Amino acid sequence: MSRDVLVIGGGIAGIQASLDLAEQGFTVYLVERLPSIGGKMAQLDKTFPTNDCSICIMGPKLFEVERHPNTQLLTYTDVEAVKGGAGNFTVTVRKKARYVDEAKCTACGLCAEKCPVSVPDVFNMNMDTRSAIYKYFPQGIPSVYTIDDSVCRIFKGKKCNICAKICEAKAVNYEQKDAVFDLNVGAIIVATGFDVFDPSDIKPYGYGTIPDVITAMEFERLLNASGPTGGHLERLSSLNTKAEIEQLEKQIKHAKAGLKRAEKNGQNSDKVDEVKKRLAEMNESLDGLKAKEASLAELRDIAFVQCVGSRDLRYNAHCCSYGCMHSVKEAVVATEHESELKSTIFFTDMRAYGKEFHEYCLRGGSEYGIHFVRGRVAEIAQGDGGRPVVWCEDMDTRKVEQHPFDLVVLATACVPSQGSASLATMLGFNLDESGFVKTDPNKPVDTSVQGIFVCGCAQGPMDIPSSVSLASAAASMAVQTVKALG
Amino acid sequence: MSIQDLIERTKVSFCQDCGVCTGSCPVSRVLPGFSPQQMVGKFVLSADLGLEDEALSDRDMWSCLTCALCLQRCPSKVEYLEFVRAVREEAFRTGNKATFAHDGVIETIVNMQRGGLHQNKTAWAREAGQIAESGEYYLFVGCLPYFDVLFRDMGISSLGSASHMLKMLNKLGIEPVVSDEERCCGHDLLWSGNVDVFKELAAFNIEMIKRCGSKKVIFGCPEGYVAFKAYYPLYFGELDFEVVHFYDLVGEQIKDGALKLSRVEEQTVTYHDPCRLGRMAGIYEAPRELIAGMPGMTLVEMERNRENAVCCGVSCWANCSSYSKQIQMDRLKEAEATGADALITACPKCKIHFTCALSSSDMKMEVKDLTEVMAASALEH
Amino acid sequence: METELRIGVFVCHCGINIAGVLDIEDLCEYAGTLPNVVTVQPNLFTCAETGTSGIKNAVKEHDLNRVVVAACTPRTHEPIFRASCQEAGINPYFFEMVNIREHCSWVHRHDREAAQGKARDLIRMAVARAMFLEPIETFKSKVEPRALVIGAGIAGMSSALALAGEGFDVTLLEKKAEMGGLLRDLHKVAPSEVGAGELVEQKVAAIKQEGRIQCFTSATLEEVSGYVGNYSATFSSNGNTHTHKVGAIIVATGGAPLKPMGLYNYDGKRVITQSELETKLKSGKLDAKSIVMIQCVGARIPERNYCSRICCMVAIKNSLHIKEIAKDAKVFVLYRDIQAYGVENEALFLKAKEAGVRFIRYNLESPPVVGDGNVEIYHPAMGKEVPLPAELVVLSTPIVAHDDAESVSRILKVPVNEYRFFLEAHAKLSPLDFATNGIYLCGNAHYPATVREAISQALGAASRASIILSHDAIERVGTVARVDQELCSSCFACVKVCPYQVPHMDEGGKAMIEPMQCQGCGICVAECPAEAIQFGYVSDAQIMAACEALCA
Repeated sequence: MSRDVLVIGGGIAGIQASLDLAEQGFTVYLVERLPSIGGKMAQLDKTFPTNDCSICIMGPKLFEVERHPNTQLLTYTDVEAVKGGAGNFTVTVRKKARYVDEAKCTACGLCAEKCPVSVPDVFNMNMDTRSAIYKYFPQGIPSVYTIDDSVCRIFKGKKCNICAKICEAKAVNYEQKDAVFDLNVGAIIVATGFDVFDPSDIKPYGYGTIPDVITAMEFERLLNASGPTGGHLERLSSLNTKAEIEQLEKQIKHAKAGLKRAEKNGQNSDKVDEVKKRLAEMNESLDGLKAKEASLAELRDIAFVQCVGSRDLRYNAHCCSYGCMHSVKEAVVATEHESELKSTIFFTDMRAYGKEFHEYCLRGGSEYGIHFVRGRVAEIAQGDGGRPVVWCEDMDTRKVEQHPFDLVVLATACVPSQGSASLATMLGFNLDESGFVKTDPNKPVDTSVQGIFVCGCAQGPMDIPSSVSLASAAASMAVQTVKALG
Repeated sequence: MSIQDLIERTKVSFCQDCGVCTGSCPVSRVLPGFSPQQMVGKFVLSADLGLEDEALSDRDMWSCLTCALCLQRCPSKVEYLEFVRAVREEAFRTGNKATFAHDGVIETIVNMQRGGLHQNKTAWAREAGQIAESGEYYLFVGCLPYFDVLFRDMGISSLGSASHMLKMLNKLGIEPVVSDEERCCGHDLLWSGNVDVFKELAAFNIEMIKRCGSKKVIFGCPEGYVAFKAYYPLYFGELDFEVVHFYDLVGEQIKDGALKLSRVEEQTVTYHDPCRLGRMAGIYEAPRELIAGMPGMTLVEMERNRENAVCCGVSCWANCSSYSKQIQMDRLKEAEATGADALITACPKCKIHFTCALSSSDMKMEVKDLTEVMAASALEH
Repeated sequence: METELRIGVFVCHCGINIAGVLDIEDLCEYAGTLPNVVTVQPNLFTCAETGTSGIKNAVKEHDLNRVVVAACTPRTHEPIFRASCQEAGINPYFFEMVNIREHCSWVHRHDREAAQGKARDLIRMAVARAMFLEPIETFKSKVEPRALVIGAGIAGMSSALALAGEGFDVTLLEKKAEMGGLLRDLHKVAPSEVGAGELVEQKVAAIKQEGRIQCFTSATLEEVSGYVGNYSATFSSNGNTHTHKVGAIIVATGGAPLKPMGLYNYDGKRVITQSELETKLKSGKLDAKSIVMIQCVGARIPERNYCSRICCMVAIKNSLHIKEIAKDAKVFVLYRDIQAYGVENEALFLKAKEAGVRFIRYNLESPPVVGDGNVEIYHPAMGKEVPLPAELVVLSTPIVAHDDAESVSRILKVPVNEYRFFLEAHAKLSPLDFATNGIYLCGNAHYPATVREAISQALGAASRASIILSHDAIERVGTVARVDQELCSSCFACVKVCPYQVPHMDEGGKAMIEPMQCQGCGICVAECPAEAIQFGYVSDAQIMAACEALCA
């Protein structure tokens, strides 16, 4: 028997549920599979309809839940097995090796600076790079570094111990092992959140083939000050071009040095000529790239495409609940970055159903000049200079129109998180037709298993306030359970 | 069937009013005011208000190319194609008809095939290669002999393609049945509302193939293939023979090494997916593999390819007009933009329509039939 | 006689974060020259175990009574160092923190000299300020383990039951003669298909069985005084007046559908509202064969510019019920944007389409016109006005706030928005809390909500209230405003400016600020012309000392 509670998932829902429980004096284990708590909300730039900076309002909650004497944070941890029932669950968890001692690491960041490995940064939607030893995101909690053993040179059998050597706190430990242990809890709260739908399945939208067609989450990172552009609004195509230029310039520098050496050493003229020829070629392509970069005019016109993979019986029948609002928000925020910018939102129904939402949309139109077009985008073609061209029937004028844009942002569907099906099997609760945790509408946080509750987007697509409300509701149910049975 | 049943069956009332169909429709892009979404909306409301005559007399219903692009993209999974087909069927019954091109001569030819007329459709085959009276394989030639006569002045030899198909089959050791008794597959009738005659022709063909004892019926034409594969079973139940597309069959043989493709003249080509072969039969890769498999041939893709390919502009020889020409020219320009020397298609009708459009332009683009292109490579040695 | 000031300064390297830019040795040396500084110690990481135990040891060894740490941000680390001070036996507010990382080494990394100078300035100011620090105590106040829930609709009843389930006593007030609220008038609850009355009866029965809940019907809230954990609520019920001591309050006063007087020929007979339709459905008295529903009646218009969230789903639910009892009935729903958000709602929307309910969109510029026996609507596909047969017209009207929302708002001193929906503390992260501690909200009182949402919020509000109720006593740090009544000129400035309505005049006509209620925002301190209000931990003397040190 136990009066402790396990919360699975360290996004805003899991954090709120944990805090409510901890504040009421219950011991809470908060399990998060990633190296840091924060979830999707931590990736957002701002939040509607108040335009609050997302991480700024969330940051204090991260600290609070970490510091609370009644919470035990288990990040980088997976749930492996569950036995027992309400009032007395035994949960086996695996705390994965970080290869960094959490107690010693002070997050000074020197290790990451010196690490020779560079891989795509998932937190920044792969639009930036990180090192093999990394912090999931700057404000991440716990504030410690983690070695990604799938890319670290040490774990590939190569020689390297730069991070261990440079760490003044002596926190790096390549020998660290996963820790598998049991938790005894009286109730479980599932707050495993959601995933963003991958729009590359929708061929007519050109995601993955047209560089300036991106997802809303990618756009959030592009707007964000800690994102890949430092919050400077740029197109992916120009980012890519800049990266190419940088790389080519490096190669040219290298080749020039080689040429100098060759000439100095008096190597045979064939070789010198060859290098010269290659250098000329590289210079030519550099000119080409620079011309391309110059031709990429300033970012002026952005299109927001709603219902990408949502309300679409071919992919997800359900509505993502927040897409209309996050597009309006992104358009508003983008305009605040760059006042000359023009945003167009292509939508089916404008679902601005929450408190102050409709008013927010109206303000978006009147104060920020957002152009709302009723009509679902039919296809995104590639126009002059690779610019995306949006084809759509305007349902008000009943005309088929095509418009070129500098950037197209896809409001992608909210889909169940990757591990939710296997978690459902492990814990034994049912899922609904869309793959979210099934609940009775009149018992909104009860799963089909007694003592297991759900909150946030694990239950279905919802916005942040709904997630927070539901988290508190799940906490209440968990308390009632452990008080009665635990 | 009642109009309300038709609405329910085709799920048109699931329409979200989103406009994806109209935004995708090749006709809407060149014919302002044409809108699949609006047609659905109008039809449903008219039916609800008891204005069935009004619903069935919508002329726009005949301008639809039934290309299935909207069907593929519709987020509500509205069975738009079946909707158009069923409405045309009802409309035809109440005396509303399509406007046929070429003075309806093709429609007349098709209708003539109902009776006991005797056709001499196989003379070309005896000249081209070996055919049989009965046997496992049946080669469905379809309208090619008629097209050969009708469009010869455009420089199109439809029978050339048929002959080459036969020769390649012979090379593989197949001597298929080719029959004078074969009737039109009925595809165009089905899609222009004349379902009664479609059924007559289909019944005749099924019976005729049965008499030949064939178990595999080979099609070079996507329309015949789809008519047999999808629609004959709808009206006559499961067929007791297999419906095979020539490209699938040949492709298999090439993979097995039974047929070799030799080097052809160096050229860059692009491939146009016929609607019936692509979106309706799901055959996208087999033709591409055949093209890419010919040494010397470089395949480049148009922007709109595979599922997103755009129709050749006319279907069922009906409602061919200026917008058809514009669709065709846009498509040809798209092909030209790839830098290809030739546009290869896998449907005899696409070839006719594109060739027709080219004849009144100075574009330097060749339109070729895949079977003929292949023949040059497969029959050389 | 005051004890001698003995200040210890601890300077952090933060690995290379600070030491990479600033010269720590120089800072230590400099700090050593400042008045009353008896020891200065550098740390590689002050926040690490060695750092915090270093502070504790130094306090003992050098008999320190003030601690200054020059390191990173107090946002994250101040609590750690305060705890160290406390553990070392000195008041945790005899501590001052300087941020030489964010404020110096990070922002001025390209100008080391200026960064070094600024760090010296900041340390000097902190040391000067430290000399004027005062001990700050925490207040304790007993918590009354009982909650007051105002409103016994589905939200209030659910909240009360949850609180009782968590082991707390509840006083539940209902202004009507019986519990149940809005649901009493409704037919069925979507999508569970449970009868609304049935759901109410279940809850009512559970409440009656639950010994912890005391329900008062025909009740009116009259007065509330006190503060978090310790409120005193006076209300009347059926002619009697009661006063209950409660620790927390939940506002679940609900809302009501707008009566569409003067809109679309509303007459309550042929043109009715959705709730009137539900009454008909409930009694089985619906015989119309053609029904037209009009959405957004009185909502999303300039005078009421909000979307009422639930009306689309109400229309969809009821249109399905009509189709169930009369498959051949023609049902048209005229909408502007269908709000079928999420999984469940969109599924129900599809189900209605499948059942043959027709949805036709209209624009605000060309609204439908209710005629005799029909409703005329501009149909975009037809491109013209079309008369739809309508034996019955059903208007979907928004949920609006109750008239008494304002009086509840006044009594509890909590705000409402322009449409008189109660205003939560933060739209995103505190949707169920008021800015005032100890008062929470849920259901239609907050904003229109489906039954699912109302129950969710009700459970959530119960959880929020339980945080207070689960404590025997509440501790409050004395970083609050304090009035020196000698100086008070009774000008009411503080009373007027306080956003939490805490200051009031006592019997002697002098300002009083109850420390348990004060939120510590400091507005009154700045406003008071007599300088009679001081703020713990940010006193004038401390600020002036820091300023003088800066300018010295």
